[in-house]
Amino acid sequence: MEVQWWADFLSAVLRAATPLVFCALGVLVCGRAGILNIGVEGSMLVGALAAVLAAVYSGDPWMGVVGALGVGLAAGLVLTLLTVYLPTDQVVTGIAFNLVCLGVTSFIYKLLVLGGVQLMAPALRAAQDAEGAVSLAGLAAAVTPLTWIALFLVAVSWVFLFRTGPGLLWRSVGESAWASHAAGLNVFRVRTVAVVVGSLLSALGGAALTLGWVPTFTDNMTMGRGFIALAAVYFGRWHPGLALAACLLFGAGEALAFRAQALGTGLNPYYYLMLPYVVTLMAVAAMGRSVEPRDTGKPYARR
Amino acid sequence: MKNTAVTVKKMLRPGWGSSATLAVASVVLSLAALCVCSFLAGASPLKVMTALFEGALRGRYALVTTLSEWVAMTLCGLAVLIPYRAGFFNVGGQGQLEVGAIAAAAVALSLTAPRPLVVLVALLAAVAAGILVVSVPLVLRLRRGASEVTTTIMMNFACVQFMYAMVTGPLKDPESWYGTTPAVPEMCRLPSFPPGTEIPVGTWVAVLITVGAAWLMSSTVFGLHLRAVGGNRPAAVAAGIPAERVFTKAVLMGAALAGLAGGLQLLGYTFRVAEGWSKSWGMVGIPIALLGGNPLGVLVVGLLFAILETGSRSMQALTGVPAALIYLFQGLPVLIYLGLRASAWYSRWARAAR
Repeated sequence: MEVQWWADFLSAVLRAATPLVFCALGVLVCGRAGILNIGVEGSMLVGALAAVLAAVYSGDPWMGVVGALGVGLAAGLVLTLLTVYLPTDQVVTGIAFNLVCLGVTSFIYKLLVLGGVQLMAPALRAAQDAEGAVSLAGLAAAVTPLTWIALFLVAVSWVFLFRTGPGLLWRSVGESAWASHAAGLNVFRVRTVAVVVGSLLSALGGAALTLGWVPTFTDNMTMGRGFIALAAVYFGRWHPGLALAACLLFGAGEALAFRAQALGTGLNPYYYLMLPYVVTLMAVAAMGRSVEPRDTGKPYARR
Repeated sequence: MKNTAVTVKKMLRPGWGSSATLAVASVVLSLAALCVCSFLAGASPLKVMTALFEGALRGRYALVTTLSEWVAMTLCGLAVLIPYRAGFFNVGGQGQLEVGAIAAAAVALSLTAPRPLVVLVALLAAVAAGILVVSVPLVLRLRRGASEVTTTIMMNFACVQFMYAMVTGPLKDPESWYGTTPAVPEMCRLPSFPPGTEIPVGTWVAVLITVGAAWLMSSTVFGLHLRAVGGNRPAAVAAGIPAERVFTKAVLMGAALAGLAGGLQLLGYTFRVAEGWSKSWGMVGIPIALLGGNPLGVLVVGLLFAILETGSRSMQALTGVPAALIYLFQGLPVLIYLGLRASAWYSRWARAAR
């Protein structure tokens, strides 16, 4: 019973954390190149819808992943145009972009399900489904392939950002765009790649939410998860490994909230959902701005 | 005469470096996009537009709803605009509003006193709650140098979850099956003014506050200091302006207005705080402030957004175009506006116009 509960809980944590990990990486790679990716929520939402639609119409969940990547690319190009090339205020643009994505996804989904039929995507699950029993040994089989991809990408981004030459240049653009420019780097090119990669990752986060968890789409189904990912990046000191740990912690908070009643702690489940934000605020209070890449959020214009 | 010309020019080129022309252009372009979307949805754009505006302006009920929406949108727009002038981007209006409403509800549901007193205390509690909520990001900014963008966003979500915890916990209506506070008693709801017209008194409050803010920002020493601090802080400090105090005042003022919006909406419009009770008024305050550019502009854009918000329901009912499309309209004009303003084409045009 006890072991069963833990296995169940852990698989729930991984399920809740996977979309967060993708999105946190999306925020992190952008932020490390100097773009504050507030639009992560919107990219996630369009990715979630695209994944459902592509998976439903092709019948193959992997096509859903491809669909999410395609839409993520488009979102990335829009954001690149706005935040890198024009450039506009990244925060306002991000917030407005999220609103537009919310409107567009709800609009498209409503048009497609005029009959009132919910589209159910084929799930990207391995051995068991969510309700099925999960043994501790079977945990590895119970997580979706997307979870493994997310973990792999954490490792890749850590190696890339902190152990390779291009990664060093990438980070230098985030620390000081002007100095990087003076050193002969093309800031625009680096930031373009960063925003596109960031949006692709965010869209994958949306795909992980739909294909790996709730196999359908509802209006505003991301419900601020992009911002939890943002919190995870701040809490994780802009480091992939620590951000992953933060995502797991926040995922555990979400999984606990669903189980709060069963736990019998008497604590209102919403307090668990407050956890990501409160601990992030405390971390910011403890660390201040010292760990944030210096030029993140500042528009860079050619002079 | 010359003075008027200068004032008009100032209004057209307010402090956010914007021009009203550009804002109007982006709104018109977005309305055009709305037409295209309704066409894609198989409805006649003309019918959609008519349904949208008639649904918001025709009939007593629709008008009252629009006016009530307008209250929150205007105040939340100001809650972003005033701190922005001082260099603080208050993304946290939503959280300030939610907690403001919760505070007002707690007062209105527990205090038994004459009506004006209850209303006054409830609204003051809402204002205090807004200030309390912003104090965390404000202190983090002042003492730790932490960017208020992230911290106010975090506060937003923390506040919404806190609100949920309150309406499913201590403040829950025992008779309800979902999370909501009991309705505030009839006796402490806001009256309409003039009596009998059903015009919510909050509308007048919002208009008065907007006019007050416009006066404060354009014709007082504080307004001058505000612009100086927001424009170039080191220069303001060098000129002997108490920058930190001006900054703090502006931020607290903004948050107080967002909190007040929560209180007014509770006592004058929704009467309950519940799960999903509020529209994203606080969030929409950001596009409104950006497009409005100054307090009077906020009032105008706020009205437009309120009309679209109210009208979207009848648009969905009459034409089948999903009401969710209205979110598109809340974001798109901002993207167009920012994009146009940053484009080389616009800077050339602005230079030629000068």
